[in-house]
Formats: sequence, C-alpha cells, structure tokens
Amino acid sequence: MNCKTRSKFTFVAALVLVAALAVGLVPALAQGKITFTAWSTNEGQSRDVIMAAVDAYSADTGAEIEDVSYPYNEYLNQVLLQARGGNISGVAQLDIAWLAPLAQMGVLKDLGSVAEGVGYTDAALSSGQYEGVQYGLPWTTASIGMVANTQLLEAAGITELPTTIEEFEAALEALKAYDPDVIPYAAMTDTAQLKDIIPWIWTFGGTIIDDEGNVVLDDGAVQAVDWYASLLERGLIAADMDRFDARQLFAQGRVGFYEDAILARSVAAGNEADQALVDGIVSLPRPVLNEGDTPQSLLWGHLLVVFDDDNAEAAAEFAKFLSSDQDTALTYFDALGLPPTTADTLNSDTVQNDEYVKTWSEQVTATARTNPLWPYAESARMESTLNEMVQAVLTGDMSAEDAMAQARDELNDLIG
Amino acid sequence: MTVGQYEMASMAKSRRQIVSDKLVLYGALLVISLFAFFPIYWMLVTSLTPAKEVFAFPPRLFPSSLTLDYYRDFFNKPELIRFFRNSVLVSSVTAVGSIIISSYAAYSFSKFRYWGRKSLMFLVLSAQMFPQALLLIALYLMFDSLGLLNSYWAVILAFTTFTLPLCIWMLKSYFDGIPNDLIEAAKVDGANQFQIIHRVLLPIAAPALVSTGLFAFIRGWNDFIYALTLAGPEKMTLPPGLVLFYTGEFQTAWPNLMAASLIVSLPIVVGFLIMQRYIVGGVTAGAVKG
Repeated sequence: MNCKTRSKFTFVAALVLVAALAVGLVPALAQGKITFTAWSTNEGQSRDVIMAAVDAYSADTGAEIEDVSYPYNEYLNQVLLQARGGNISGVAQLDIAWLAPLAQMGVLKDLGSVAEGVGYTDAALSSGQYEGVQYGLPWTTASIGMVANTQLLEAAGITELPTTIEEFEAALEALKAYDPDVIPYAAMTDTAQLKDIIPWIWTFGGTIIDDEGNVVLDDGAVQAVDWYASLLERGLIAADMDRFDARQLFAQGRVGFYEDAILARSVAAGNEADQALVDGIVSLPRPVLNEGDTPQSLLWGHLLVVFDDDNAEAAAEFAKFLSSDQDTALTYFDALGLPPTTADTLNSDTVQNDEYVKTWSEQVTATARTNPLWPYAESARMESTLNEMVQAVLTGDMSAEDAMAQARDELNDLIG
Repeated sequence: MTVGQYEMASMAKSRRQIVSDKLVLYGALLVISLFAFFPIYWMLVTSLTPAKEVFAFPPRLFPSSLTLDYYRDFFNKPELIRFFRNSVLVSSVTAVGSIIISSYAAYSFSKFRYWGRKSLMFLVLSAQMFPQALLLIALYLMFDSLGLLNSYWAVILAFTTFTLPLCIWMLKSYFDGIPNDLIEAAKVDGANQFQIIHRVLLPIAAPALVSTGLFAFIRGWNDFIYALTLAGPEKMTLPPGLVLFYTGEFQTAWPNLMAASLIVSLPIVVGFLIMQRYIVGGVTAGAVKG
C-alpha cells in the first residue's frame, strides 16, 4: 500500500466512522405512544387492512400508535426477549399457542374488565385465558380444520363428504385409485408438525393429559398413531409432508384433503390455484370414529395482549377497538377471511353468507379444543417429544404402544 | 518399427494423453461450475418467474414467461432501501473497526513474547465457538443495561465481537510472515511502536487488511439474528428486513425474496471484483513462511 492508497484508506475509514456517528447512535425513546407489536402488520394484504384500522383509530381518538413488526417465525422469541428485558409495551399480537409463556412472565395486564360486555363468544374468550385470567382479547378465533378439493373428489367419484373414519378411508382409496399421483390426504408427517396427531388421538377416544395434569396417552392414542402409520403404509398419506408443501400441492390440485387454518382458501388463492379449484374448496368436520361422535379439532387464532405499564389503559382500549369494532372486524373478514370474535359480528349477513366460513365456525370451531400441551412452561419440548415418538412409529422404528409409553414417561418428566 | 515410426507413435500417444487430460480437466471444471452456479441460476430464474409458475410441477429450468416485477417491487419499498443503507453502514463500520482492533491485537500476538500469550490467543478463538444464540442473550441483556438496544452501536459491537477472533488470527498469520529484521531495522532508525505498526507493518499488510476487512464486512452483511434482535425496527439490516417483508405466517414470496437476495448480493460481488488482487494475496498470506 503506497502513501496515496494509505491516505485514501484512512480517509474512507474516517468517513465511515463519522457517518456512523452522524446517522445517530443513540436509540430514540418513544414516550406516550401506544406501541403495537405484530407480525400481520407486515404481511402482504393484511398490512394495508390493519394499518387502515390503526390510522382510523388514531384519527378518532388522537392516540399515537407506533407499529413494530417481527417475522412470524422469529416473533415469539423476540417478544419474550423484549418482555424479559422490559423493553416492550403497548399491545402485541399473539398466536393463541403463545399465551402461556408470556403470561407466566407476569408482564401482561388482566383484561377481564375490558372484555366484559363486549360480546366476545365464549370460545373466543377462552382462547385468551391462562389459569382463569383473561390475558388476551380474541382478535380472530377459528381452528385447524380439514379442507377438501371437491373438484378432485367429484372426479374420483366421491359425491358425499366423509363423516366417519370408515367413509374417510374409502374416499382416500377412491382418490388413490383415480390418480396414483394424487396425495389423497396431505397429512402432516414432518416431525416439526406432527402435533396434528392430537385431534386424531381425541377422535380415537384417547387422552393426552387428564384433568389432574397427568400425561395419559392411553389406548386411544396408540390406536390413533397406529392408524396414522397404516395410512402411510397404504400410500394414502405421504412421508415428510409439511404444511408448506401441502399448501402448494393442494393449490396445484394434487391433494384431496389436508388440514390448515381457516385461511386455507385464501392461501390457495394466493398460491395461484385455479379459480374453479378455489371455489370448490370446502371445509368439513374431522371424520369421527362412530356416528354421533363429536368431531375434533385444535383451536387456532390470534390474540391481542397488553403489557402492564402506565400506558396500559389506553393500550387496552386500542386492543378492544381492533378486536371488537364491527366495521373493522368485517373489513378484516372481507379482506382476509379471518372470522371475527364477537357474536354480533359473527351473526352479521357478511359472515353468514359465506358458506365456507359459516361451516367452519359452526361445525369445526364450535367443538375445537386447545392444545393440551400449551399451558406448560416446557410445552415446546413436550410437543417435540410427542412428535418424535409419532415419527418413530411412522418410520417403523418403534411400535405405537412403545412410542406412546416412552412419550408418556418423557412428558411426565417435563411437566415435573 | 523404425526410430522415426517410434517417435511419431510416441508423439501421437503423448498428444492423445494431453487431449485426454484436458478433457478430464474441463469435464471436472464443468461439473464443479454447474454445482457452484446452479443455485445462483435457480435464484435468478425464480426471481424472473411469475409467481404462478414458481411451483409448477415438474419444475421448469426455463420459465415460459419472464417478469421484472419483483425487482421493481424491491426498489418501490422505501423500507427496504432504508434496511439496505443500514446494512452498508453497520457492515462498513464493523469491517473498519475489526481491521483497526485486530491489527493491534495481531501485532501483539505475532511480534511480542509475554506470559499467557498463547492462552490468550486460544481464548480469543474460543469466543468463536460459543453458540450465537447463547451470546445473543448475554449481549441483549448487556446492551439493554447500557441503553444501547435499538441503536447502530448495538449491532456494530455485536458484529465486531464475532468477527474479531478470526480477523486477529488471519492478520497474525500474515504478520508472522513479515521478517522481524524489518522491525529491528525500524527500531534502529529510531521508530517507536506506533510508527513501526503504521509505517512498516500495515503498508506491507495491505492485502491481508483488505481480505480481513472484506471477511468482516461479509459476516456483518449476512448476519440475521443479531441484527433482528438488537437493531430494532428502524436500524434493522437487510437479512431480517427481507424475511420481515417476504415471509409470513402462511406464505413466502419466493420470487420477491430471490430478486431481493440477488440485489443485496451485488455489493459483495462488486467488492470481490474490485479487490480480488488483494484478497488472493491476503487469503494465502502466511501459507508459506519465507
């Protein structure tokens, strides 16, 4: 490096350092604002809809709202870390699965009095409760349910949607016979998403955790896992299937049935599925073991929680507006197909005229239950353990009986 | 066979051998190139393919139609441009800071002998071996107590913590190759340590400084988790910014993500092209001791 080059190098280095200082190295402190932390405020279509509602609220009330976004897959870790450091305030969007870890930290405001008299449905309210305390206001409440491509079903000669497991198996066989390249049921078989076995365990009469908090995983669980493995063996479900693949394949018309959140229809449309396919998507209650049994599904939805600090009252009012104002909820429903959470809005013509959502709400979400692992501090590890045991059965490494016995021991240890 | 015939046969055999060797060489290079460039090709094709065709089955090597929409979309998002500027700023400061600090540290490790020197060197390197997530929580709490969260400094300091160990080792191995006689000669001429490092050592070490700086820049440029956690929404850099904009709860905008990834790779590629002369020299520095 000669003198000239060295001088240039020193100059560039100095310039970079000065620029760093000039751009501002001290964090700006926001005072008196309501911070709204969410992932949906940065995702495609939902961004515009939510921000319009936020702007409307600001205009009406004069409240200053600052939105902060994190990617969905990193969201919980970021919120937990910030809550741990006391660096988060205002309102935050939560998946209902994430309420327990945040509630356990003792940073959330009890919204029981805020939720009173608003008209949220009982199912919706229950999704925001932890140990009997209303920590979350329900923003959208639905379930992980089953959807079908009726175009494909009709082509395979299936005219009635299956209601029992026997009929379901017959439909899957018919789809396979119609086109061997079709995946009759894109059930989750990827280890990370095998929690979808839970409603099947309930369907077979199994219990995962009893009322006393003991892990049971009884004969019903063994039967359900055995049945799941038999579907794989018969080629009615596919190995290593995750939700992302299932959605893509469903949008391409190569899947008969699969399970997803209520957004399944708009996800298919977003994945450029043919309009005829989108129009032919129906939701259906999970098939039951015996006629008359209750169809099972996992509750799914989004909550709004409020961090308990000086500005919590104002933040709670904003959360109530976002989750219960009818015009806002209907706009949200129109744009994204996410069901509202108040009885009045659910009974409005806009919602009732949408057969897909109506069926989903009345026949699937109505009987949905929360994931029994969520209330525990070690829920993530418990879920992984259960998933790994189910995977071991699917790969033929363990019998269902041994796998459930081992899962029972390990889950009991994690509960402590 | 006459001598002439033998020589001709021998030459023909030798020519065949050369041709055959070349065929093997070029064949191997072709396979390696395909292996190396196919992901880039796939990124490029995906970034130009309309969303409807991206997941076509069976996959297509050549899309039936092309679009530049996803590139336009990137430049139409002011937030992404802001993230881009943030990336340039924090990666540049990280690179410059890493060079400055590691130059002094490497000089010390290379040219001085003192008690605990080797242990200290390995201690520095061992910092590289901790899981990032573990360091992240410690850094988060530390920056929180210092009031540095959501600032450029938080990201720069975090990046520098994980670039320094390797930078120090890279420069040390280069300094080891510089004869001590040069330093002794400078001392005889009356130079102090400051003058020795700035007027003797660093000018000679230009290639190593450039390659070390580029290494630090790339580490900073590509980091995701530190930038996401420590920078806050305003100071966020491109990797978390792209994930924030193009991945969601239900869908990932692959063509947008690929287009944006190609755009953000450009500064690194251009940097390599401009500085490749130094980089080759810097990377091989210390490989052979003179």
